[in-house]
Amino acid sequence: MENENENENGYMLLFRGNEWMKQLSPEEMQKAFEDWMAWFNGLMEDGRAIAGNPLEKEARTLAYDGEKITTDGSYIESKEAVAGYFMLTVKTFDEAEEIARNCPGLKYGSVVEVRPVAAACPMSELVKATSSAAQES
Amino acid sequence: MVEHFFRHESGRLVATLTRAFGIENLTLAEDVVQDALVKALTTWPYQGVPRNPAAWITQVARRIALDVVRRKKRFQEKQDKIIATLESSALDEGPISPDDEIGDDRLRLMFACCHPVIPMEAQVALTLKTLCGFGVSEISSAFLCSDAAISKRLTRARQGIRQAGVGFCIPEGEELSERLDAVLSSLYLLFNEGYKASQGNRLVKRDLCDEAIRLTGLLVGFPGADVPKVHALRALMCLNASRLGARTDGMGQLLRLRDQDRSKWDARLISLGMKHFAMSGQGGELTEYHLQAAIAAAHCRASDYVSTNWELILSLYDHLAELSSSPLVVLNRAVALAEVRGPEVALKSLENLDGRKELEGYHLLDAVKAEMWARMGCREEAASSFQRAIDLCGVDSERTFLIRQKASL
Repeated sequence: MENENENENGYMLLFRGNEWMKQLSPEEMQKAFEDWMAWFNGLMEDGRAIAGNPLEKEARTLAYDGEKITTDGSYIESKEAVAGYFMLTVKTFDEAEEIARNCPGLKYGSVVEVRPVAAACPMSELVKATSSAAQES
Repeated sequence: MVEHFFRHESGRLVATLTRAFGIENLTLAEDVVQDALVKALTTWPYQGVPRNPAAWITQVARRIALDVVRRKKRFQEKQDKIIATLESSALDEGPISPDDEIGDDRLRLMFACCHPVIPMEAQVALTLKTLCGFGVSEISSAFLCSDAAISKRLTRARQGIRQAGVGFCIPEGEELSERLDAVLSSLYLLFNEGYKASQGNRLVKRDLCDEAIRLTGLLVGFPGADVPKVHALRALMCLNASRLGARTDGMGQLLRLRDQDRSKWDARLISLGMKHFAMSGQGGELTEYHLQAAIAAAHCRASDYVSTNWELILSLYDHLAELSSSPLVVLNRAVALAEVRGPEVALKSLENLDGRKELEGYHLLDAVKAEMWARMGCREEAASSFQRAIDLCGVDSERTFLIRQKASL
């Protein structure tokens, strides 16, 4: 990658913290919702965002304890929990950060993590090339 | 989205879930509703607002409530009955028919929150929290105290309900009238809190008035509570609230009744208030609410300050003074008295108010006296009365107003 501040593959916004909404009053929730709608719709409409979803709190967490794989079913609720994401098409870190700065959840305690999406790995490039070659023949 | 939609939905659902869970589980009902609203907040931005938002939230609340009932031990015994209630249409929004034996759960919640065993301030706090969907900080900013103080009031209210075994029902027969008086006092307190021009967020205070009017409207819609004094209360609320929009000028400065642009008075509220005022007269009862409504009506009817029927207002205050020992009545009467018999007589009527404990630290007595002195041309006395009022006044806009009055002497 030439410039650390630029990325052809876009950026992801990870919204961390899924407890802050619980503290809001109904009126604050309505305001937060209306602000969030306006923000998200604006980004989708001008193509700067192409996807976004919330994540439910239900989780199954798998780990290896040295002997076997364990599965832990739980509700994940914490300040670090990923509550949802946006997929942005912008090409620079600064642009992505600028968008993140407008997140209506910030003032209520939500944290926004901006991550560049790395280039596809060589294996998936190979798969893509192979399947398109197969289609042409 | 309709203004205050989440708040109103919250109140409605908390009321019905409280009936399903039992009043002792009021907090649980609130938690369930909160979770349902959070769900809306986190999914609607991505999926869009559903076509029927109320039905969506209701369905989610229903689902969460059913899950809670199946999981928690405390519901084991009555599980079937509660599940039946939750699955019925009781949760759904819709017109309440007067024959509906289920009735309005919001009224049940109102009577529970305003039970006489609970201290007045705690009643209002609990009503705002559970029935009106206000948050703790919103309530504390409206009452100008700390979140901790409000939390304490809420706890006291909840404890009161538990300890007294308050039921979740609309009282009947003789009990209804007594309990109704308690509810009316609470709603009156709520309205006044919003109406008085004290320090604080003006929009939130306006909300309190609106809520008081809304809740009194719910009450008046119930056959047993459809009595003259309830109409009188709603009349005085509507008529007084109609003037709120004219109370400040373009720069946020306070305007007295004399200086208000009456075209800014809310015609819809006046009309509604007059309707209730007319209905309040259909019975033998004459309460303080009736008199206050009549005074407000007299003001709303007048096209300007000068053509106000001050004789009528004075006689209404005379009557009010017989029913109430409040020094505020004497104070307000003095203003009317000045219009009818001149400032000197008015000033004399205030002599007994000096040293009244209820007025301690209250700037209005000195403010009214100052005006009387000014009208009599006694500049020195007016100036020192204004200064005393300025020193006592805790509200920026009112203090500014008094300073201007003093300066213009």
